[in-house]
Amino acid sequence: MKHTLKSIATCAALALATLPAMAQTVGPQGETATATSEIVAPEASIEAVKAAGHTAALLWHDQSDFVNAVTAGATDEFARFGIEVVATTSAGFDAAKQRSDIETALIKKPSIILSLPLDPVTSAAAFKEAKADGVKLVFLSNLPADYTHPDDYAAIVTDDLFQMGKQAADALAASMDGAGTVGWIYHDAAYYVTNQRDKAFKTTIENDYPNISIVAEQGISDPARAEEIANAMLLRNPDLGGIYVTWAGPAEGVLAALRANGNDTTKIVTLDLSEPIALDMVKGGNVAAIVADEAYELGRAMAAAGILDLLDQEVPPFIVAPAVTVTADNVAEGWMQSLRIEAPESVR
Amino acid sequence: MDRLISRLTGIDFQQWVVYIGFLGIFLFFAATLHDDGFLTERNLTNIVLQTAPVTIMAIGLVFALSAGEIDLSFGSIVAVAALSAAVAMQSYSMAVGIAAGLGAGILIGAVNGILVAYLKLPSFLVTLATMGLFAGIARSMTNLRSIPVVNDAFTGIFGSGKLFTVPSLVIWTVIGVGLGHLIYRHTKFGAHVVATGDNPRAAQVSGIKVPRVRFYVLTISGACAGLAGLLYAGRLQAAKYTLGESDLMTVIAAVIVGGTALNGGKGSVIGALVGSLLMGMLNNGLILMNLKVSDQMIVRGLIILLAVAVSLRDSKR
Repeated sequence: MKHTLKSIATCAALALATLPAMAQTVGPQGETATATSEIVAPEASIEAVKAAGHTAALLWHDQSDFVNAVTAGATDEFARFGIEVVATTSAGFDAAKQRSDIETALIKKPSIILSLPLDPVTSAAAFKEAKADGVKLVFLSNLPADYTHPDDYAAIVTDDLFQMGKQAADALAASMDGAGTVGWIYHDAAYYVTNQRDKAFKTTIENDYPNISIVAEQGISDPARAEEIANAMLLRNPDLGGIYVTWAGPAEGVLAALRANGNDTTKIVTLDLSEPIALDMVKGGNVAAIVADEAYELGRAMAAAGILDLLDQEVPPFIVAPAVTVTADNVAEGWMQSLRIEAPESVR
Repeated sequence: MDRLISRLTGIDFQQWVVYIGFLGIFLFFAATLHDDGFLTERNLTNIVLQTAPVTIMAIGLVFALSAGEIDLSFGSIVAVAALSAAVAMQSYSMAVGIAAGLGAGILIGAVNGILVAYLKLPSFLVTLATMGLFAGIARSMTNLRSIPVVNDAFTGIFGSGKLFTVPSLVIWTVIGVGLGHLIYRHTKFGAHVVATGDNPRAAQVSGIKVPRVRFYVLTISGACAGLAGLLYAGRLQAAKYTLGESDLMTVIAAVIVGGTALNGGKGSVIGALVGSLLMGMLNNGLILMNLKVSDQMIVRGLIILLAVAVSLRDSKR
């Protein structure tokens, strides 16, 4: 009995201890987050950095509005410090191509590499050569396995993943007046970014909204299957008050399913900006809100982290960019805040 | 004149386009990217290392296409083979890992071969179906997880190792191309492959066991994809379900540009090697030129289109 009570007490203490950690974004190795606003390369060093003739390579995982905004943020910050971007690549989510891209970019002897390692396991060997060449590595969102800070890399910069999921939950709950049933369409893959965001949504609904229950859960790995997944979900749960969709691509399929079913009551929230999704939102359709990240700011912070490392200044291991909730009322501002470009004319 | 050149060089004149194209693009990059390190030993070695798995896959496809068949499933086979080897080596020796990887490739290739050769199903549809089937199996094998390969001997032999000063991936390329060329050009089986692709009915009448040839070419393609899977696993020191997935178009382009006919009866293993190196050199040079990613894709697409158009136009003459 004594042993049982002790176990219960220990479990309770552990649960309480882990609660604050669950309420914020933590790094892949449990690192505490630092806001991008705190990552500032010193103006006083501009001339010294310019004189050193440093260069940078941007080795991305894919192409998208998000990557374009990150690139713009990084390129502008590098330009301020006279750092030339000598190579830009996209691996198309192919781990082998990412390895080749790194090898090719190293021929141009960059001082800094900004990159999203596609996968902790496959990227570990891929970045080894860059490490050996003494290149300053700043990672977006993922960390190669067994890399340690600050010896192997300058920093990981990512979205405030917990806030993105939480803000999506808050927005959906608000659109449902805090009550009803929800479908949860999550990314069915071992991918740190989407996994954290998806879990944050679920945790927030479960902890903060007692009158909302998640009655349907479905993983998705191929966005093209979103419509059929949503159709099946709606068939089993015709009275769903809302659906969370892991990112905007599959949300377009979910929206198509709702329209095909003549359903104009089930609300959708999703993550990352998309014109078709935003268009439905401004027209008062199913989409209640989109939660995005400040991608331009994220790119700026990545570049600044690399510059700070070049200057041998301390860089925090895990840095997060703020999340932005975009609704019908702030589409133009939200777009500018996230991607630093004008919102498409159709949604302004 | 064409025949004279062919007789003197041993190379089909129609296939010269890939060599001329390769040389032209090489000289262009050498001139424009001289200061960007294009001609450095490290960069030129990189191109060969990066294209090694594509070259091995291309050799298998030369056999399949020459026999009048096609294999669309080799990308999925690469992933299954790499994962099979990686998973096996978590519990067993390197030899078991190699056997598992190569065995998976040969087995899937043989399944394709049986369905095409003996059940008379079209290879396009069979391998389109098995491409999806084994892509799904690759995903479910490890529940989408990547598997690290920590066996140093394996990563040395199939990835980052060297024999004296020659990188192992270069050795695999030389062995693969040498063996492939020898079988294709200098054995009865190679002649049977070409004859089957050129005119299956005539080949059958002249005593060639056409179904057996079809079975073997698809098995060879599977085996080559299996070996490519091992090379990827060695190079990345890990296996993932996405390996090989994006290589389908690159390999087909390399083989066609290299002078292999899409409708069978004609092919070149050496041409496929040069086609593969051409693709690798394009990727490399366009990055070193510091083009935007979208511009890299446009230029690469246009050059491949031009090369394929010239190759196919020549082959129709």
